[in-house]
This record gives sequence, C-alpha cells and structure tokens, in this order.
Amino acid sequence: MAGNNNSRTMRINLKVWRQQNEKVQGNLVDYTLDSVSPDMSFLEMFDVLNEQLVKKGEEPVAFAHDCREGICGSCAMVIDGEPHGPQTGTTTCQLHMRSFSDGDTIVVEPFRAKAFPVVKDLVTNRTALDRIQAAGGYVTVSTGNAPDGNAIPISKEIADLAMDAAACIQCGACVAACRNGSAMLFVSAKVSQLALLPQGQAERDRRVSRMVWQMDEEDFGSCTNMGSCAAACPKEIKVENIARINREYAHAMLFGRVSERVSDE
Amino acid sequence: MSQGILKYMSSSIGRKYIMAVSGLVWVLFVLTHMIGNLLIFAGKDAYNVYSHKLITNPLIYLAEAALVIFIGAHAFTGISLKLRNNRTKPTLYAVTPKSAKGASLSSKSMIWSGTITLVFLILHLVTFKYGQYYAYSKDGADVVLDGIKVRDIHQLVIECFEKPGYVAWYGICLVLVGLHLYHGVASSFQTLGLNHPKFNNAIKMFGWAYAIVVALGFLAVPLYVFIF
Amino acid sequence: MNLDSKIPSGHISEKWTNHQFESKLVNPANRRKFSVIVVGTGLAGASASASLAELGYNVKTLCIHDSPRRAHSIAAQGGINAAKNYQNDGDSVYRLFYDTIKGGDFRAREANVHRLAENSVKIIDHCVALGVPFAREYGGLLANRSFGGAQVSRTFYARGQTGQQLLLGAYSAMMRQVDAKKVELLNFREMLDLVLVDGKARGVICRNVLTGEIESHAADAVILATGGYGNVFYLSTNAKWSNATAIWRAHKRGAAFGNPCFTQIHPTCIPVSGDYQSKLTLMSESLRNDGRVWVPKNGTDARSPDLIPEDERDYYLERIYPSFGNLAPRDIASRAAKFVCDEGRGVGNTKLAVYLDFAAAIKRDGRPVIEGKYGNLFQMYEKITGENPYKVPMRIYPAVHYTMGGLWVDYNLQSTIPGLHVLGEANFSDHGANRLGASALMQGLSDGYFVIPTTLANYLGSTKLDKVDVSHQAFKDARAGVEQGISRMMNIKGGKTADELHRKLGKLMWDNCGMARNEQSLNKLLEEIPKLRDEFWNDLRIPGDAATLNQELERAGRVADFIELGELMARDALERRESCGGHFRTEFQTQDNEAQRDDEKFCHVAAWEYQGEGKAAKRNTEALNFEYVKLATRSYK
Repeated sequence: MAGNNNSRTMRINLKVWRQQNEKVQGNLVDYTLDSVSPDMSFLEMFDVLNEQLVKKGEEPVAFAHDCREGICGSCAMVIDGEPHGPQTGTTTCQLHMRSFSDGDTIVVEPFRAKAFPVVKDLVTNRTALDRIQAAGGYVTVSTGNAPDGNAIPISKEIADLAMDAAACIQCGACVAACRNGSAMLFVSAKVSQLALLPQGQAERDRRVSRMVWQMDEEDFGSCTNMGSCAAACPKEIKVENIARINREYAHAMLFGRVSERVSDE
Repeated sequence: MSQGILKYMSSSIGRKYIMAVSGLVWVLFVLTHMIGNLLIFAGKDAYNVYSHKLITNPLIYLAEAALVIFIGAHAFTGISLKLRNNRTKPTLYAVTPKSAKGASLSSKSMIWSGTITLVFLILHLVTFKYGQYYAYSKDGADVVLDGIKVRDIHQLVIECFEKPGYVAWYGICLVLVGLHLYHGVASSFQTLGLNHPKFNNAIKMFGWAYAIVVALGFLAVPLYVFIF
Repeated sequence: MNLDSKIPSGHISEKWTNHQFESKLVNPANRRKFSVIVVGTGLAGASASASLAELGYNVKTLCIHDSPRRAHSIAAQGGINAAKNYQNDGDSVYRLFYDTIKGGDFRAREANVHRLAENSVKIIDHCVALGVPFAREYGGLLANRSFGGAQVSRTFYARGQTGQQLLLGAYSAMMRQVDAKKVELLNFREMLDLVLVDGKARGVICRNVLTGEIESHAADAVILATGGYGNVFYLSTNAKWSNATAIWRAHKRGAAFGNPCFTQIHPTCIPVSGDYQSKLTLMSESLRNDGRVWVPKNGTDARSPDLIPEDERDYYLERIYPSFGNLAPRDIASRAAKFVCDEGRGVGNTKLAVYLDFAAAIKRDGRPVIEGKYGNLFQMYEKITGENPYKVPMRIYPAVHYTMGGLWVDYNLQSTIPGLHVLGEANFSDHGANRLGASALMQGLSDGYFVIPTTLANYLGSTKLDKVDVSHQAFKDARAGVEQGISRMMNIKGGKTADELHRKLGKLMWDNCGMARNEQSLNKLLEEIPKLRDEFWNDLRIPGDAATLNQELERAGRVADFIELGELMARDALERRESCGGHFRTEFQTQDNEAQRDDEKFCHVAAWEYQGEGKAAKRNTEALNFEYVKLATRSYK
C-alpha cells in the first residue's frame, strides 16, 4: 500500500544528458541517489538530485516541468529510450519510482528532433508546435458572435471522439518517439478535433493545408506509419487521427480552394 | 490564387500519397506475377504459353511503362523522404526502446528492404527478361503461336533454380519483399486515409496475410525446383 | 488611498448594460494606434489577448512558458458554471449570482458578481463556437453536472479536463491573432517589474529566461493575468511555476492588494506521502457527486476500510450538512475534514486523510458509468498512490488550491494604478472569502472575453496618454533595479537552495496561516517571516550564470516575493478579526464550529498599500454594501 513504503528505499543510478547550450556538444553524466522512495515521482527524484548538486555548488540539471499532474505538457524526458518512460499513458511527472527497482540504472535524455533544439540539459525548445497551431488550429470566430451553445446538436459519439483528440497536451512525445521526428500525431490530433465538429467545417480545407505546410516548414519529419508516436503518447492519442488528417488533406487537395501559403504572409 | 496540386503533392503528406499509390500498384502486380509463376506447377506447356501470351500482348508495353514509372516514383520519393527524415531526426537515443514504445522491424527497415528489393528487381530482369534465350521446342520442332516463336522460359527458370547460390539469394530477397509488404500494404491504407476502428484489425491482418501469401507463393517455385 | 469601486448606478441587473453604454469607446480605426501588454496566458490572459486583438488593438502577450497552453488554467478539472438552466431545475442568472455571493460568505461585491453571472451564459456559447468539446447527451445537447455549494446542475464540463479544453479554446483564438500579427507572443518571458510614467502603467520589464536578457516593453496599458499565489504555501495544487512575482512587484509599485489572507483550501486532494513531496494533486470536486466522505467512528480503528461495517463509519458531511451532504462548499468540507482528523479519526499512516468512497456509487450505477464520468481521475489517483480506487476508497485531505485575494480592482478591473488592469485569479474581485467550485474558469473567461474589451476602451478613450517608449528614464531606472536585484541574489553564494527556503516558508504558512489561524499563530508567523527573509538574503545559493537558462535563479526571485507576500497575508489575517469563508480564525466560531462573521466591523475589503522596504503595509478599506442579497449566516445544513 502506498504511503506505507517510506521505510523501503532504493538506490538508483542515473545517466543524465548534460549540455550547456544549443551550440556545444553534450554528454551523459553518472549520478547515484541512495535513498529514493518508491512513492516519489520521477521529477521529485530529480528535485532531490538537484538539491544535492546545488549544495555542492554544481549546476542543477535543467528540466522542463510545471503542473506535475500530467496535463500541462511541460515535462519531457526520454527515459531508457522511451519518451516519458516505460509506463503507457503516463507523463514523466506522473511516473513514480515504484515502476523501477533497487539498483536500476536509468538513462535520461532530452526529446530529440531537429525541430526541438536542446536549450540546456533536458530542456528543449518546442515552440514549433505553437507555430503549427497558429497556422490554422482554430475556428475563426470572434468574441461575441456565437449562437446559443445548444443551437448545433453534436452527437455524443462525435463529441467524445473530438475530445479524445483534444486530450493532446502538446508535449511532443510523439515527435520524440518517432524515428523520423515527425509531428503527424500532434498535428492530426489538432486537425481531427475540429474536423470532427460541425464548428470546424467552414475552414477545414484551409486548416489542414496550412497546418501541414507549416509542419513541413518547421522541419518535422514525414510519417511512415510506424506507430511509435501513439505508443509513446501519454494521452493515448490514436493513429486513426493520422488517417483522418490524410483524408482531410486529400480533400483539401482535390476539392479545396486554399489560397495562402504560410510563407507568403 | 488557390494553390496547385504540386504544392500539395510535394508536401510530406503528398509524397506519402505517391508512396502509397505507387506501392499499391506494385502490390497488385506482384500478386499477379506470383500467380503466373505458380503456373509452373501446371506444366511446362502452360507456363511457356502463358509467358508467351503475356509478352506478345501489345498492352504489355503500356503496363511495363506504368510499372517503371510507378517504381521510379516510389523509389525516388522513398529515398527523398528518407534523406529528409535523417535530417529531421539527426540523433537517436543511447538506449533502444523496448518493444512497447518502439516500432516494428518491418516498419523500421523499409528503406533497406526496399533498396535491396529494387536491386533484386533489376538483376531479376537481367536474369529472366533479358537473360538466356531458349527456343521452346516440342518433338524436335520449335513451337509457334500466332506466327511467333515461343520462348522456353521454363527451361531458364529450372536452370537458375537448380543453383543453390541463386536459390539462396532469391530466397533472401523474397523474404525482404515479404517484410516490405508486411508494413507497406497496411500502411498504404493508413496513408490514403482508409482507416476505421471497425476495419483496422482486418486491414492489418490483410496486409500481413498478403505479405506472407506473396512471399510464400514466389518461394514455392524455387523450393519445388531445387528440392524435387 | 482612493478605493472608488466605480460601481454603476441602477438596478443590479442593469448595471453592466448601463455601464457598457456609458463607457467610452475607441473607434475601430483608432484602436490600431493603441498597444496593450498582457502578462500571462491562462484563461484570463489568453482570452483577453484574443478579444482585444480581434477588436484591433496591438497586443503584446508575455508568457513564462514555451507555449501559452501550459498556463495553469490547463489543470482545472471539474467544470465551468453557467446560468443556462438547460436542466430546467430552477437556475437563473440571479440564482448563480446569489449562490456566488453566499458561497463567498458575503465578502464580494454584488455588482461584480452579478456581471459574472450574466456573462456566464455567453461564455458557454462562445466556447462551443470555438470548438470546445463539452460533454454531450446522446441527443446532442450539452450535459451538466452538479458542484459544491449549489442545488442546481449548472456545471458544463469536458471529462475531467475542462480547464484544458477551455484554455485550448482561448489559446487557439489567441494563436489566430498571432498569425494575423495582431498579437505579438513573447514566450519564455518572466515579468519582473511594472513601469509607471506619470503615475500610469506604461510597460513592463521582463527577463528572457532562455538568454537571461532583461527586456523593456512599453504600451498604453498593462493587463496582469498571472494567476494566484497559492504557492506561498510551497505545497499546493498550483503548478510549480505559478508565482506571485508579477502582482507582487505591481503591488510594490503602488497597486493595492485586496484581502491577501483569503485562501481556499480544497477538500479533495491526494494526501502528502513524504518529505520530498513537491506538489499536491487535486481530485476534482465533481467526485463528490458520487463519492461519500467518511472516517471510522473510532479513531483507533486500524482495519482496512472494506472491513469496517457501515454502522461503524461516520459519513460526517452527510451527518452535519444533510441538505448539501457531500456537496457542501469547499471551505466547509475542508474544515470538517481537518476537524475529524484533529479528533484523531484520520486514516492512512499519517492519519491526515479521510476516505472518499465510491463503493455505493459503483454498486448503484455499475463500474462503466463511474468510469465514464471519472475514469481519468481514477487513473491519475492510481498512478500517484499505487492504489486502485475502484477497489479501495480514495484517501483525500485538504490542500491549498486557490487564492480569492489578489490585486484590488474596481468595477472596471483596474487596479489603484491607472492603466493597470488585473484579470482572473490575480485580482481579488468576485469570490469573496470562498470560491465555489467551477467558478474560477467562469471568472477568468468573463474578465478576458467580455469585461476587459469594454473597460479597457473606456480607459483608453478617456485618458490622455503621451507617447512613451522604452528610452524613457522610468524604463531605464526600472531595468537597472531589476538587474541589481538579480545580481544581488546571484552574489549571496550561501548554502541553501531556494526550494529549501520555500519549503520552510510553506510550512510556517500552513501551520500558522492555513486552514485555521488565530492571533497567537499569526503573531508567531510575523516574528518568523522576517527571520526567514534574512536567511534568504544571507544564505541563498544560486549556481551558474544569470545570462543563461537558470531555473534556480527564477525560483529564487519568486521565493523572495512569496516571503514578503506571506508576511502581508499574516498581517491581513491578523487584522481581520472574524471568520469568513476560507479565513477561519479559531477565536471566532459558533458553538458547532462554524465560521462566525462580524458584519458590523468587517463587511469590507481590506486593500493593503505598500509603504516601502521593511515598513508595515497600510490597511485601507472598501465597504461592501449588500442591497440585494441579505447578509445572513451561511447555512448548508
């Protein structure tokens, strides 16, 4: 039973990626923690490590984190080669040390992709995802225009499917897991949410076209349907969304009249 | 002005459409080719006559041209995507993920199974299509159909498949073709947006079955010739 | 200090309409001549950025994260209230207004709250239009659930991720404006000072957290939407990055701080498991729709919960508050949990927890129904605790969640500094001494989508603003001050980490100014905090360099402000000699341990005025007049 594990502690060996900034080469550095509680979260273990480092006058390991409840999408570690670690459907912050054993050696690296340059240690810059959002991930409706919320009925099944896609937390684990560095799972989730809902129909061609073009411009790889993205996704976004974006894009190509190109503006 | 088809087709998804469509054309082709090959079990006569009718049909040039174009597009696009993907994912991780969050061997090795298949295809054409010409003679006379002499392709096939080295090379290549199809068939459906939870498992199973049937069908001929 | 609340005249239901008509407008062609800085990209900041940019203003939005979507509004779980009365259960704008005033224990302004209730209806419509996937009934219409402190079903939700979905809606609207170049998004920027020119807010100084560069940004008005300060307590349900620096530095520049001691303790959080604990995780209040809260009748009962028979359990909320039961408001439910734990009847190895039991609901509705409603919450609970709540009851305990206090604002959401507007949790305005569940999202969006477009135009249209840019001396001075502050911290080179000092502050605050306070504990706190401040400034250690990403430096700056704010909270709690809502003074309670207000002396807002380094802040008051809801003792029995 949790909360009763305090007496049992573990020794954990860490190999952590340290890199001063984007321009210099980084490397894995060994650290050992002697009394890790199984009830600690993975990030709390890093808090303990960092506290020790600061006390020794060394620079702590920089890592992104914020809400620590699996929803903000900040935390982003590749643990033993797997984004967010070994547990499925779990962010790094929700991963607890009870998933590991005494004496384990854990390798921790940043999310890797051309589009996610390393800022420092385990922190990468994932703003490319925002620019894809800005290219079309919205419904064009200004404040004050809306009809009554119940004016357009949306079947529960469709609302649920849209919600499944909308659960994406924009952490970028899909990109990190993909051997091509593709952001298709992310983009497809964003496109799917609005493609499924009646509110999104008016600009469906424009949305998918611009978001895909922006994705290419940001230097994300292309999808080869390997499926590691969905396996790594902490919110278990499904690859069906990728099929949907493929359909949407074909629709835009064959029937759409999309005029702008992202770089034209 | 609205964006043209080129803008769409040159994007990462557009190029995937090229991969899927050209791939599916060849998926259909290898099946018909495999079925044709199996005629060897119906006897020398049936085999040679089928082959003769195939190559003397004037539509064959059109079909061949299409196949060359599609495989050219497939190979060119595949390589260009691979180069792009090497650039967009410059480093992999120090530890290879365990299977749960990893990708299948088939999907990871598409570029290699594809490249070897392409090399094999060229050599295969050299060996058979442009290889040793034997006239097909029965009872001491050349067989003539519609005024054209029939080639004894059966003879060439038997000769090739009696060499253990060739059989081994052919076998390895066909396993790779199978591996390529294993991911490729189902993946094409996904790329073309043909995906629905109701059918996804069926599509996947179909892809696997297709790969296995095609590979085994092709392998049946050399094994039969070599062993018996 | 002039605390003119600028409440419009007229009947409560017409005040906002009248005010919109009477407010000055800025004509569409002129709007593009004005610039506004918005700090923060949660519900309030993102919605304000989007709606102001839609109107044509030039907006600069500062975001502390890489992406605006990471703001802590994202973590709100349960839902958003709106007086739609879709359920035909007697809801109305007036009832939502009434419930919110009463829920806030009569310490909020009637006019503000009524406006909030009016806007609630439009929020739902707008969010639906933006593509927010609210839960639906099979017929396709919007679904509702109940929340604490209300007897109607008026809460709209998107599974247990309502905050996320609403924020994604506001974020997408804002990103559309980023694409249209009407919003300039400055991410990775932390605001470190407010710049005043001629007494008006004209810009901010911020640090680019990636490069360490100190930047100045000028505008015609500044909007703060930087959230609450619950992290004063170190352990709270707030995100690790949530901080009070922006509002605190604005306070030091002259913005009054309203009711700093009003802190909401949320009754359903996962209990602390060890010293390394870095934050507390909320379990949505919506769980109390189906979960029953209980402890063993006998404090020494160490049996596992499933072995304790019904008649030896105390369902204390149902017992004490029969008409609201498990859906009693947050302050009341929290205090009740503390009360039973103080009696020694708490559960788990720390004895600081109570059970939230779903066995009856699972038996009644079946597991699939419960899974459909709360699946992700149950999953989250299991991930954190390693226990399966379908099989054993959850263990929960109250934790700091929300701060009703914040910068004082008038009806226009303008602080005591002209041109500085404060939205969302960062202001003090709408929730009084206790916020009802599912009302925070409503307030953030009401402020950002519907209030600020009117009130900012009123300010811009009625104020003479000289042209100011960052070469102005005020910017240079502020910038130099920020740089000095950073190098001062970097050069302490002591032996303690910012987190270590923060934990110490948190414990002091929780023990002495937490769920229950009294004169003695608060005086003790006022003695301890200055010592902690000295310790901070003498023994802090920040390794590394200020000119790169330096998370220790970021943390330290925030802790320094939390220490000062903690002191103000203690002072405010000490001076408010009554109990109301989340502020529970043990000296002021009824015989059955309920909060005892003193409407004679304390029916007012305390707005604290900064007096300078090391000097005690000055307490000013704004009287609260209740014309429509009669002051009464809150009862949920």
